[in-house]
Amino acid sequence: MQKYYKKWFLPLALPSIILFLFVILIPFLMGVLYSFSAWRGTYFAGGDNAFEAFVGVQNYVNAFQNDKFFSALVYTIQFTLIAVVVINVVALALAMMVTKISKASGIFRTIFFMPNLLGGLALGFIWQFIFQIVFSQILFGGDNPLISIPVLTNMLQDHYKALFALVILVTWQMAGYMMIIYITGLNNIPTDLYEAAEMDGANAFQRFRVITLPMLMPAITIVFFLTLANCFKLLDQNIALTDGNFDTRLLATQILRTTRDTSPPDYGMAQAQAVIFFVLIAIVTLVQVSLTKRKEVEA
Amino acid sequence: MVKNHHMSVKRKIGQVILYVVLTLIALYTLFPVAFLVINSFKPQADIVGSPLSLPKTWNFSYIVNAAEQINFFQALGITFLVTVISVALLVIVSSLAAWVMVRNKNKFSNILLLMFTAAMLIPFQAVMYPLLSLFEGMYLKNITGLILMYGGFGLSLSVFLYHGFIKSVPASIEEAAVIDGANIFQLFFRVVFPLLKSTTATVIILNAMWIWNDYLLPFLVIGNGEVRTLTLELYFAKMTSGQYGNPWELIFPAVFVSIIPIIVVFLFLQKYIVKGVSDGAIKA
Repeated sequence: MQKYYKKWFLPLALPSIILFLFVILIPFLMGVLYSFSAWRGTYFAGGDNAFEAFVGVQNYVNAFQNDKFFSALVYTIQFTLIAVVVINVVALALAMMVTKISKASGIFRTIFFMPNLLGGLALGFIWQFIFQIVFSQILFGGDNPLISIPVLTNMLQDHYKALFALVILVTWQMAGYMMIIYITGLNNIPTDLYEAAEMDGANAFQRFRVITLPMLMPAITIVFFLTLANCFKLLDQNIALTDGNFDTRLLATQILRTTRDTSPPDYGMAQAQAVIFFVLIAIVTLVQVSLTKRKEVEA
Repeated sequence: MVKNHHMSVKRKIGQVILYVVLTLIALYTLFPVAFLVINSFKPQADIVGSPLSLPKTWNFSYIVNAAEQINFFQALGITFLVTVISVALLVIVSSLAAWVMVRNKNKFSNILLLMFTAAMLIPFQAVMYPLLSLFEGMYLKNITGLILMYGGFGLSLSVFLYHGFIKSVPASIEEAAVIDGANIFQLFFRVVFPLLKSTTATVIILNAMWIWNDYLLPFLVIGNGEVRTLTLELYFAKMTSGQYGNPWELIFPAVFVSIIPIIVVFLFLQKYIVKGVSDGAIKA
């Protein structure tokens, strides 16, 4: 049988290997190479190929000296930090509430999960209107507001306010998805642990800290990983809400727009930004997973 | 007794509070969607003037107009085709690869698994520009190329999920089938593949949700071409007219018709989708 499997290994794995090579590996290596060249998208400046148009680390130097890139980098980090915390807290709170009620928990789960099905672009368009008209002219601002809260008006025209608008949108969209993962985690905690703790006189907060949190670490690892990666790479919602105007570009948007900012389009620098983007994501997610995994072991 | 009674009253109050809070959050969650629906039946002046009020008449003309503007049925067909073919491709190639990788424990299959897994860390932006130039050079900057790209990008997670599951499937049944004279395809599709049903459901759901709603890849690959996906039609409807202020009487009904198919599918397959999402996350 071993021989039989061996005979079929390559033929059956080949379609996957080919797809992987042409869609991921080759473009990835090309990307790293091109980021060191004067690539202009359809041609190389000063040579026929990436080697002849080699410019060393110039694209990386240009990227870091580019105000827009630097601003997008800082903005992405700020957004990701806030969004990850908010989404996690909301998702965990939802999961704990939904698992504690006796009836109709299925309906609530369905409702909370639903925003996730819709694309970031479609949702972004709806929320753009809500922020611009409903928030700014009816609820919190305008001639006759319901409650006057200037901070919540014209959120899309301001660097910092737009950050929170984006947090509101992605929390609304992702919390239900993460809630589902937390619910699975909560259901895996044996109930007798809680009963024992209650008999020992532990209050609700102590039970949460001593039992729920440690037992939930595997789910927390997953949710942190997913939210971190999704927020860091966020694009559609950013484009739909502000399109990067008012200095609100996230890194993914910045990389996409670099070729439009420059003339002739500087694909070399765009690609250098993309490589930096990859390195950051790899570091952040690997560090996060190893940190939370360590907590899992301790628990 | 008194204490027990006290406890149960306390529990009941707690439950009431929970229901009130959850209902409020549910209303908040539903608000943008309800908002979208009511504004899909209004003229521009009413949308901007009184966005929160119900339409004066349930006038379907805006929806009909929007459906025409975004070539709804063509775009729906294209999106459906791209999603179904990409997902089918993914299911077949990744389950086959994962199966032979599990059954061949050697260095090469370990390296392969490591590569597929590591690739999950590569963001789309890191390969985007070279990928486009490579595919353009192969005359694949079209729907076929788009499907192949989805095949490549979805591969990592799908192989990973199948690999994790197949490890727990004993090889002894397969041996029996081969002795009975099954050829390799009968062996895989009649014996192995049916056992992978739950993973296949997860792979289908996770990939279909992502591909259906994807905006960037179709934008880069087919862009402003003649055949566009639903997300692309939406984007261009908003962007091309956006320079004269946003034509909300077109955008709202367009978003509305474009999400109806997803909502309908979700309501029918809810149970599987929620299970697929949590299974996929936990195994990954």
